[in-house]
Amino acid sequence: MNAYLKWIVGIASLAALAACSGGAPTTANPVTTVASAAAYSGPPPATADVQAFMVNLWTNVKATNRCGGCHVQGGQSPQFARTDDVNLAYQAANTVVNLSQPDQSTMVQKVSGGHNCWLASPSACGDTLTVWIQNWAGSSATGSQSIKLIAPPDETVGNSKTFPTSPSGFQTTIYPIVTQYCSRCHAPTALTPQQPYFASADINEAYSNAQAKIDLADANPTNANPPVPCTVSSTGTTCLSRFVARLAIDHHNCWSDCTTDAQAMLTAIENFANPIPLTTVDPSLVISKALTMFDGTVASGQNRYTTSQIALYEFKTGTGTIAYDTSGVEPELDLNLTGNYTWDQGWGVIFAPNSKAQGTSTASAKLYNMITSSGEFTIEAWVSPANVAQTGANIVSYSGGPQLRDATLSQMAFQYAANVRSSVTSTNGAPALVTNPKNQLAQAALQHVVLTYDPVNGRKLYVNGVFTGDVDSAGGGTLANWDNTFALVVGNETSGTANQFQGELRMVAIHNRALTLPQIQQNYAAGVGQKYFMLFNVTPLTGVPQSYVMMTLSLNDNYSYLFSNPTFISLDSTQTPNGIPISGLRIGINGTEATVGQSYIPLNTTVTSANYNSSTGQLLSSVGAVIALQNGPATDQFFLSFAQIGSQTHVYTDPTYAIPAPVPGPAAPDLGVRTFERLAQTMSKVTGVPMTDTNVATVYANVLSALPPVPDLAAYSAANQTAISQLAIAYCSELVNTTNLRQSFFGAGFDPTQGGNYFTAPINTTSNRDTVINALYINLVGGTLSANLATQPPFAGVQAELDSLITALTPASYATTANRSGVVTKAACAALLGSASTMVQ
Amino acid sequence: MSTIQRFRSARQAAGTFALVTLVSALCALPAGAGPNEQAKRIFDRIAGVPPSASELAQMATDIQGGDPTSAANIALQAPQFYNTTLKNFAMPWTNRDQTVFAPLNDYVATFIGMVRDDADFSTALSADILYMSNASGLPAPSTTDNNHYAQAEAQGVDMKSTLTLVTQSGLYGIPTAATAGLMTTRAATSSFFINGTNRAMFRYTLMAHLCNDLPTVEDITRPPDRIRQDVSRSPGGDSRVFLNSCIGCHSGMDPMAQAFAYYDFPGTAVGDGLNTGAMVYTAGTTQAKYHINTGNFPQGFVTPDDSWTNRWRQGPNQVLGWDPTLPGSGNGAKSLGLELAHSTAFAQCQAQKVFQAVCYRAPASQADLTQVSNMTSAFKAGNYKYKPLFASAAVYCMGS
Repeated sequence: MNAYLKWIVGIASLAALAACSGGAPTTANPVTTVASAAAYSGPPPATADVQAFMVNLWTNVKATNRCGGCHVQGGQSPQFARTDDVNLAYQAANTVVNLSQPDQSTMVQKVSGGHNCWLASPSACGDTLTVWIQNWAGSSATGSQSIKLIAPPDETVGNSKTFPTSPSGFQTTIYPIVTQYCSRCHAPTALTPQQPYFASADINEAYSNAQAKIDLADANPTNANPPVPCTVSSTGTTCLSRFVARLAIDHHNCWSDCTTDAQAMLTAIENFANPIPLTTVDPSLVISKALTMFDGTVASGQNRYTTSQIALYEFKTGTGTIAYDTSGVEPELDLNLTGNYTWDQGWGVIFAPNSKAQGTSTASAKLYNMITSSGEFTIEAWVSPANVAQTGANIVSYSGGPQLRDATLSQMAFQYAANVRSSVTSTNGAPALVTNPKNQLAQAALQHVVLTYDPVNGRKLYVNGVFTGDVDSAGGGTLANWDNTFALVVGNETSGTANQFQGELRMVAIHNRALTLPQIQQNYAAGVGQKYFMLFNVTPLTGVPQSYVMMTLSLNDNYSYLFSNPTFISLDSTQTPNGIPISGLRIGINGTEATVGQSYIPLNTTVTSANYNSSTGQLLSSVGAVIALQNGPATDQFFLSFAQIGSQTHVYTDPTYAIPAPVPGPAAPDLGVRTFERLAQTMSKVTGVPMTDTNVATVYANVLSALPPVPDLAAYSAANQTAISQLAIAYCSELVNTTNLRQSFFGAGFDPTQGGNYFTAPINTTSNRDTVINALYINLVGGTLSANLATQPPFAGVQAELDSLITALTPASYATTANRSGVVTKAACAALLGSASTMVQ
Repeated sequence: MSTIQRFRSARQAAGTFALVTLVSALCALPAGAGPNEQAKRIFDRIAGVPPSASELAQMATDIQGGDPTSAANIALQAPQFYNTTLKNFAMPWTNRDQTVFAPLNDYVATFIGMVRDDADFSTALSADILYMSNASGLPAPSTTDNNHYAQAEAQGVDMKSTLTLVTQSGLYGIPTAATAGLMTTRAATSSFFINGTNRAMFRYTLMAHLCNDLPTVEDITRPPDRIRQDVSRSPGGDSRVFLNSCIGCHSGMDPMAQAFAYYDFPGTAVGDGLNTGAMVYTAGTTQAKYHINTGNFPQGFVTPDDSWTNRWRQGPNQVLGWDPTLPGSGNGAKSLGLELAHSTAFAQCQAQKVFQAVCYRAPASQADLTQVSNMTSAFKAGNYKYKPLFASAAVYCMGS
């Protein structure tokens, strides 16, 4: 028996909307183009539903270049495009449409499969057809939907290669390369150690850390996409191993030429991996059955509000140069992709420098016609900026060049901005409405960004379903001055030379009404991208009939899958499982458990009848798991393994890591210089001048940032010496100028007010020179004149230097200059105080 | 020779004097150091200033008598050891710029007080502890400014004699259960809880007290289930960045930084030690900053409370040496502080820092490594008293 998931979000939304209204709800007709009345002359529509069919579907498919080429009166059955009687066409159409699930309609699936699509992309035809059927079904079609879970075919987990226990193979292949070229960072003994330590001197540590960077699929002959052997080129690599990609793509510390280095690394990995035999999955694991993504049930409960939608880009094509407008509103405003763009296979386009997607100005006139007639509009986008540094980066723009636009939604670093031309703004849409910089609303992550415009409020921005709170200072106006010659451009400006947006767009929609907050929140809740319900069969493990662990799976981006909402459910609704412990859930891919991203390892819960619902099962965890993509969604095969499910257990043992022996660093000097405050403390202590002395404190504050901050001799600079000299002069000046300090230091006989001839008498004659030099030596260097530490300069050398200095500073011309004796003493003091005898420790 | 020429020559002579002396000192130092030279170096390295003649004589006697530790203990009594050495040793731990040029604050004062009083430093990240100065003329310590400590420094107050042990709960009114030693001082909270997501407190504490920045503990194999919603799983549309880089730090950090879920520092970032505002603690209520940017990854972890788990007890980071007698999980900053401070890395980090501060080099030989190992062991065995670390390192590096 099948179970049904009731998607109550849509119901709740509609209920909330209904509750807000005061009377009978007013529903707007979907925007569509209506064929001219003259085109049909048959019987009038018999009912309102036939009328809805006629307006929304029949008008669009009856053209001879579409379904009307065959499915007409006298043509192929079903004749839903017949032009003689719309009532008969209606009856025929009912056999090939599913109004409760429009995308599941036979008509849609037929066209999506390539049956006479009128566009280059069958999926775009299918999407457009889906919109027309949805419009026919009315707004209820975008509300609650039932999704029928279908048991997938049972598949066993495929073969794969697994890492051998012994590091010996690694040691002779990859290890020599990483130890030679990567150990300066990726080893615990490196000067600047950087995890992971795959280049550790400890081979076991290196091997365990390297495993996350090696993908054995690169040497698995069953690997289909990319095929083995994978390749390395100057533009990148198809290999999955991070060791290779880091060199080939990121050019991360290549040791010669990056392509050559990447190839060398690949060869080493192949040499390591080729001898490893293909094995079936570890038989001791407790595992579910296996699935590929497309074995899942499509989660198509997209409850988007689309009534006023006039252009829609879901970027589903995944290839080619056209992003199709699948809004169903004609004319189709398809965008031509140019430059360095890439498709996201999970639906999206990634814009790199020099890329854009632009429609013709003729087709873009659809926007002009429909928006100027309503006077309001909405631009809606699911956007993932590559960074938060780019400014003026156009996400969506209807413009004619860098200085001319009708409307633009753009990114400015951490902010989003909106420019709209109106009667109250310039022809460039200025002033821009910019989100508050403090809120940093723009993030380098997938975000739902909406710009609305109406004549009353002007511009309003919403991010992830929340109004940003930024008020349009220009207010609302009319759009009469819009220019219908502009073109719709995405990811850039029409000129292509400015306003590049870097990042990914996963959906863009334009509405000719200003969406309300509930409508925006409805669209935000609907999400974006391709999603599947994956039913992993665990019946043999639990004993509960038709029991599954169901997960929602989507492509996170081109490089990973996103698993979420793990749910235990039995498709047999008569079952009420109880007392089933589930713990240590791991996601396996292509025969092995993924190394990185296992969010459910800590899971430890029990399925109980109290928490289990026969329709919705029991949710096991609310967090998501991002698992690296390997071969692509078409071939990657997933399974689940468990530490415990029911009575089945598998014991996971975490490896133990020995503390690696530390390795000495490089030799360094045994000495250092006194740092800033130590210098000041030292100068204060040896001179007796307190640090709080106003003059020295002022100089200290001024030179503080230039004094040595660290004792490292290698960091000592000329600027340090200059600052120390200034500080030394300040201390010596205060010493000489302050009577009690001076007398205490030099003795009561010292007189700083004399001329240069104060120092006429030579040294070693009990002269004034001796008084000053001896006092300086004893106080500043320490020790005595006859004996001192071996680490301090001996007196004779210091005496000779200071004697020479005093002589040089007392020429005959200064013989009688007042205070010269003090000035010279200060200089001699500073020379000694600022020297290595003070500085070096 | 003119007067000006002579004066220039004199200035040149003075300038070269310093260099000449520096070179001669460098050449002279290593060889032939006796007890006097060793004593001076011990004093220099510990106190930062030269010893007095009497101090030098006593220390030399101790060294001569085979008791260099007593000599080091003399240097440890110097006021400059507390006012300068310890202050500048700890200051970079207390601000985001990791600058030593910041005003004295309660974090540093508490560290100095704990060293002076031979406190058990393994309680440094969990205790209800605070030190203030009882010097006269200072404003009272406040939750809203740093004036008490900044003025104590500006006035040259002697830390050794005036620091007084108080409690954060008593002085700041923080609930006792919310106190977590140095992490909940005003300096730490104003630097690491202001703005952001409180992960800064974890990272800076890790750097300051376990001597590991995040790149050295990165482990991409830990479960990412506790990484919050604000971390994009596809930054710029490339999930390889997340799976190879972001996850490595966040998978371990986020489950532990959850311990700070009830803390915030609403205020204005002005600069190191100058930020305005006061810490708030909302028992039982997770701060809004834990729920910002939820749209970055809606399937991410939603923080319900302040429970934390140390995921690094498994995987490569088990080498940090976690205490097997502790549970490895808990609620709040206090128990997290205990977890961190009881690790081997914590004790080793203190020894390493002191070795480098005293010896002016990272361990550069096997003998140096053995010395650090011995210091670590002695530190743990001796109830985590800090002064013996300085004494041991100074004796080891006093020269021979």
